[in-house]
Amino acid sequence: MNDDQLSRDELLLELRRCRERIADLEHTGVRVQSSEALFGGLLEAAPDSFVIVDATGTVRLVNPQAERMFGYSEGELIGQPIEVLVPDSARAAHARQRTTYSEQPASRRMGIGLQLSARRKDGSEFPAEISLSPLQTPEGRMIISAIRDVSERREVERQLQRQAEALAASNDQLQQFAYVASHDLQEPLRMVSSYLQLLSRRYTGKLDADADEFIGFAVDGAKRMQALIQDLLAYSRVGSGGQAFTQVDLNDTLARVQRDLKMAIDESGADLQVERLPVIVGQLTYVVQLFENLVGNAIKFRRPGQKPHIQVRAKRLASGWQIAVQDDGIGLEPQYAERIFQIFQRLHTRQEYPGTGIGLAICKRIMDQHGGEIRVQSQSGSGATFLLDFPDRRAS
Amino acid sequence: MSAVEILLVEDNPGDVRLTKEALRDGRVKNNLHVVVDGVAALAFLRKEGEYHAAPRPDLILLDLNLPRKNGRETLAEIKSDPELRTIPVVVLTTSMDEQDVLRAYEFNANCYINKPVDLDQFLQVIRSIEDFWLTIVRLPR
Repeated sequence: MNDDQLSRDELLLELRRCRERIADLEHTGVRVQSSEALFGGLLEAAPDSFVIVDATGTVRLVNPQAERMFGYSEGELIGQPIEVLVPDSARAAHARQRTTYSEQPASRRMGIGLQLSARRKDGSEFPAEISLSPLQTPEGRMIISAIRDVSERREVERQLQRQAEALAASNDQLQQFAYVASHDLQEPLRMVSSYLQLLSRRYTGKLDADADEFIGFAVDGAKRMQALIQDLLAYSRVGSGGQAFTQVDLNDTLARVQRDLKMAIDESGADLQVERLPVIVGQLTYVVQLFENLVGNAIKFRRPGQKPHIQVRAKRLASGWQIAVQDDGIGLEPQYAERIFQIFQRLHTRQEYPGTGIGLAICKRIMDQHGGEIRVQSQSGSGATFLLDFPDRRAS
Repeated sequence: MSAVEILLVEDNPGDVRLTKEALRDGRVKNNLHVVVDGVAALAFLRKEGEYHAAPRPDLILLDLNLPRKNGRETLAEIKSDPELRTIPVVVLTTSMDEQDVLRAYEFNANCYINKPVDLDQFLQVIRSIEDFWLTIVRLPR
């Protein structure tokens, strides 16, 4: 027996190793096949186009979506430099950037915020969004790029943008119109009302009873229209000018409101209790107007024959202040809680409570202007609490 | 005491009449002269043409929105004329525009008043102007 010859046992052992090795290889082969199938399936099913290029920028693999998107067949693309898919104007830059990227590849999106374009076979271009990721393979490093045609989205974005601009412009015009109209209306109305008042002063009792009554109605109508126009002007003024946002000490604001409304407070015997209030960032004039309207309303809508008690207090919220203005007046039915903030909405006849129905609409507008909210909690007959949420903000 | 001369520069006849009504029963005997625009106002002040016999006013009431030469230009011209600039000018207007207020004072208006919407307040304001500028303040002779 030759020394080179293996013993039977050794032979058997070797055979067993070979079988194991074959089994291993078969198993790996199956795994490779199934990975390839998975990979291929993934590429085919993906909604985006995929183009895989090697380190030299040569196209190595494309999926059917890429064929459709760019109008090339697979065969036409494989082996071509990736720059065939880049518009002429961007080709040189693309090649440079590709080299930089290959040196330090990382998954990222290309051209975020940029108007990136891709080029079809026929030379036409379309806006694209592209994600890049590096891929290590036995053949070296590859780059996977996923390409999405965003023409539709861009178009929708452009439309949205156009609509937003048109809306802003029409809002501005409306604002301007309301202001100009109410200002210009005031002029002739001042004449009507002044001369009606003069008529009434000079001629009441000198004509006849009918004339006195007619003049009375006319004077009353003109006065109401004046109030309406002035309130409309005030309403359209909120948010028309760029009043600065500054530190507003609400304690000072309420002190001022108390001074401005002194007559109404004294006449009604109102008890206005103001707790310690914070300093907020707001538009001073409008914040004063806001609290004047709310405290004024609390006095106006008191229960007949009773002295109103009004409380103003503050509560710290997660990211802002909530100010409550609470009264013990006639209140309102909860079903009207939203309607009262709309312009010209009134819940009472003018004989019961005079007014134009603009005051709370102005308050709402001021709160909008401050990025805040106003709402009311109330039951008919048991007072009302107006809650103002002022979000924290920086002074301008 | 001789009558004071007031020049009202106002194109709205309604306002002219209201001002007359207010000044009619005023405390100071006054002669109200009315011109309807800035060109006429300056001609009056400089005694030009038909105004050759015009008196020098003790007080000017000036509207801002006027035809031909508006109140702002008229004010600027009056206040840059050494002969005229000592005459007090009261800007009396419906304009609530902050820019108008600022510019009027920059052009040395003596005061800026918004025409009150209410008749009583209007009459009151005219009488206050008369009272203040013609009896309280002392002006150069």
